[in-house]
Amino acid sequence: MNITINRLAPLMLGAILLAGCAKPPAEQIDAAEKAVKEAQMSGAATYTAQEYAKLEASLTAMKKEVTDQDGKFALFRDYGKAEQLATSAKADGERVKADAVKKKEEAKAGALQAQQVAKEAVKSTVELVASAPVGKDRAALEAIKNDVEALKASLNQIQLAIDKEDYPAAQAQAKAIHDKGQAVSAELQNALAKVGKGKPSAHKKK
Amino acid sequence: MTVFSVRNGLIALARGFFLAGAFSACVQVVPPELVSAIDRIDQQLVALKAPEIAPEEYARFVRQWVPLRARVQSDDDLVRWPWETNELETELRRLHEEGGSTLAKLHGERQAQQHRAQLNVLRVEERLRALSSQIDAIDGRIVLGGKPVQTDLLVKQARSFYDQHDYQRSIEAADLAGKALHVQSALLARELGRYADEQHIRSWQAMAQQAIDWSRTHRSTAIVVSKAERILTLYKNGNKVVSYPVRLGFNGIREKQFQGDGATPEGRYRITDKRGAGRTQFYRALVLDYPNQDDRRRFVQGKKVGRIPAAKQIGGQIEIHGVENELMAQTLGCVMLDNVQMRALFERVEPGSVVSIVGALTGRNAVATALAQLGAHGEET
Repeated sequence: MNITINRLAPLMLGAILLAGCAKPPAEQIDAAEKAVKEAQMSGAATYTAQEYAKLEASLTAMKKEVTDQDGKFALFRDYGKAEQLATSAKADGERVKADAVKKKEEAKAGALQAQQVAKEAVKSTVELVASAPVGKDRAALEAIKNDVEALKASLNQIQLAIDKEDYPAAQAQAKAIHDKGQAVSAELQNALAKVGKGKPSAHKKK
Repeated sequence: MTVFSVRNGLIALARGFFLAGAFSACVQVVPPELVSAIDRIDQQLVALKAPEIAPEEYARFVRQWVPLRARVQSDDDLVRWPWETNELETELRRLHEEGGSTLAKLHGERQAQQHRAQLNVLRVEERLRALSSQIDAIDGRIVLGGKPVQTDLLVKQARSFYDQHDYQRSIEAADLAGKALHVQSALLARELGRYADEQHIRSWQAMAQQAIDWSRTHRSTAIVVSKAERILTLYKNGNKVVSYPVRLGFNGIREKQFQGDGATPEGRYRITDKRGAGRTQFYRALVLDYPNQDDRRRFVQGKKVGRIPAAKQIGGQIEIHGVENELMAQTLGCVMLDNVQMRALFERVEPGSVVSIVGALTGRNAVATALAQLGAHGEET
């Protein structure tokens, strides 16, 4: 019996010392923080705001758990839960990042498509203006030309918003330009209908 | 069975009940409806777009909710001593209360923001409509260049953001549109302010009176054209004979500066030629002596001060004419009448007659009225 106790004692002491040497799961914590950072860099705060907020909360909870354990007497420290939280935060971070990237791509694709539609609307209006006879019905035509020039210039605003990755703004601008382009085309067609088959004026000066 | 054994049995039973009671008291139970209620608050906060519109408040909520939910789902807090309070439930109740307050606060703010956005969008749309209508009424659109389109785009964006429930951006776009409308009104006032300026009006009245006096003195015809009212009046021997509506150049509301600007000149002119059928493409035409000495002096001065680009020419061929083609009833800077009226005028007017083209004859002209209404509308909003 004494022999058994003598043999077991070092093992028990070793186990106690081992427990006393418990350290925070640095590798998992780093991985979790990196995953959250990457999610943030991918635009998660904008495109998956709800998930990102929860992800940050998980990271905070994990850090608190580590701090709580750090505050305990060395022999009673247990970082098992912190490790579990870190692993979970890492997995969530990767998922949120993937979701954000997907949603951002969708928003970008939507903005690019809206930009294209707006460009086509402006192009069609420009072509309509170019085909208008340079006759004496210039009151409407001159005003419309100003409108078309302004529309052409405003296309740059869409590109600027896309460059800034502000896709909702790009979409709203593109929609406004498209709608205005169509309205200008309709106005121009009305003006042209009035001009009808009128001859171009040979009058000069003025 | 002895009394002793019965007594022991009862004691054992009492112990059993006690242990069962003690055991059940040790099991920490969190009311599931409490957890569901907090979950609903979370969903409602998300529906309110709290993560986007109030990220700090939402972050504060989830920083508590995420670990508490994890504790509810884990076994850590299931057992407690009977003398311990149910901390988890207490914390959940506190979060429920706090989350409820945040939700109510954000809901109120969101409603206020929606109301403000709606009001701003409606107001700016109404202002745009009013401005467009006033501008069209005085043919002033050309004066503003590309600004009406830029403003229209902002108003459309404000509406678009509102429809997407992005009230903050809607308010920002509406504010920008409001400023752009203000700039347009100011530009119109600067460019056309002379129509409301008493000194200008007096000068134009004097110019018109000179034409009438000339008609009386020379026992001849004279014409006065008021650009603001688009009216041509024929005088004979100093007496008013008839008035006709006219159309001006595409930029006729402005004073002519150079060739091709589409503006109709202002000043005192003479009819230098009467062109009947076959001599004009505009049915009948009364040719004016534009540019006269005053016009040339103004043109030279305009170039000198940089108001007129150096490469520009002064232009010419300003006429009072009829319509070349009813389908092309516009002019470049002349004064145009319908053919029936042009024929009547043509037959009555003599070469050499004086023609005064003025901005307006009274302070209450169409342009001044439009500018005043725009100013009043701008102050209201």
